[in-house]
Amino acid sequence: MRPILLQGHERSLTQIKFNAEGDLLFSCSKDHVINVWFTHNGERLGTYNGNNGTVWTVDVDPESRFMMSGAADNTLRLWSVQTGKNLFTWEFPTAVKRVAFNDDGTQVVCITEQRMGHQCAIRVFQINRDGDGTDQSTDPLYFFNPIGSKATVCAFTNVPNVIFTGHESGKVALFNVKSGEEVNNNERAHGEVVTDLQLSKDRTYCITSSKDKSARIHDTKTLQVIKTFSTETPLNSASFMPNRPYVLLGGGQEAMKVTTTSLRQGKFETRFWHKVFEEEIGRVKGHFGPINTIAVHPAGTCYASGGEDGFVRVHHFDDSYFKAKPYGDLDIDD
Amino acid sequence: EDAAEESNVSAELIALRKRLVDEWNAWRVVRRRELADERGHKNDRRNSSSEEKEEIE
Repeated sequence: MRPILLQGHERSLTQIKFNAEGDLLFSCSKDHVINVWFTHNGERLGTYNGNNGTVWTVDVDPESRFMMSGAADNTLRLWSVQTGKNLFTWEFPTAVKRVAFNDDGTQVVCITEQRMGHQCAIRVFQINRDGDGTDQSTDPLYFFNPIGSKATVCAFTNVPNVIFTGHESGKVALFNVKSGEEVNNNERAHGEVVTDLQLSKDRTYCITSSKDKSARIHDTKTLQVIKTFSTETPLNSASFMPNRPYVLLGGGQEAMKVTTTSLRQGKFETRFWHKVFEEEIGRVKGHFGPINTIAVHPAGTCYASGGEDGFVRVHHFDDSYFKAKPYGDLDIDD
Repeated sequence: EDAAEESNVSAELIALRKRLVDEWNAWRVVRRRELADERGHKNDRRNSSSEEKEEIE
């Protein structure tokens, strides 16, 4: 595997995301900037300027036409992927921690932070795709305050108006965005804060990572835990590998804690686990700080990791990776 | 003897893995079928509503 180092951020990465075709990689950071890169050679295609705070989250629609970002300057922004223009800005009383498109790019769901007398809120916006994208409604389609522990991650499921959420307490839940009602929950999905949520291609299952050092696959309909991956380090991100039965996990102890714990925990590696056998397969080193975010190419040909060290590393797989069958000839459904 | 024991363990492991794969695939088939059904219904509804519109017009 030849890693490509993407150098363009001055501070730690918060989220990275491939577009549907996989030719572009979006990255956002504490340096207030969003970058977009060509996946195949790591060349920077452009920068999205305008945020006045940490950009916490980014998502791109299925057509690679619109990109959404959420930031610590309390804004949710809609961008033109191609021109880099900020098409519309929504403002809230607190920071936007997570944003996600639905499967046809007509709606976005976002989480705003609980702070200064404001409760954690979840809003769904209808995205007007007609015209140049600047004609958007200021008001959300739906708005509610999730009960109990604040939400940290969210995504649309296959069921209309139902979203999957991960929470600070370690809970995962399904919410009806129309009524704000919690449809189902698993209070003990994780023992600590849920740090990432990524869906399978058909959205029938998802993976969450947590500071409790584990990642879990959940059935998005029943919330049943299907698989558990237990590591020895707090996890910040988890991702599926399309066409291969693997999951990728990333995390690491914060820099301050490294000196007081064993050397092993000071290494910053992306971990490959077998998603059905729950066995660790291998690790890829490289980052000088904890791995904050991992994304896999939609065709499974490469993956990228974004670190606390400010670097994005893109790893394209060799032919040997595709030929390798470390567990023999087993036919595993994606 | 050691070799025999080793091969016994790996036979067990292989059986376990096979069971895990079978369970996984069985669950995937169920979920995939459900999703196809749901999407089918959605399309049915879309078709019927567009037909209704035509009638009104």
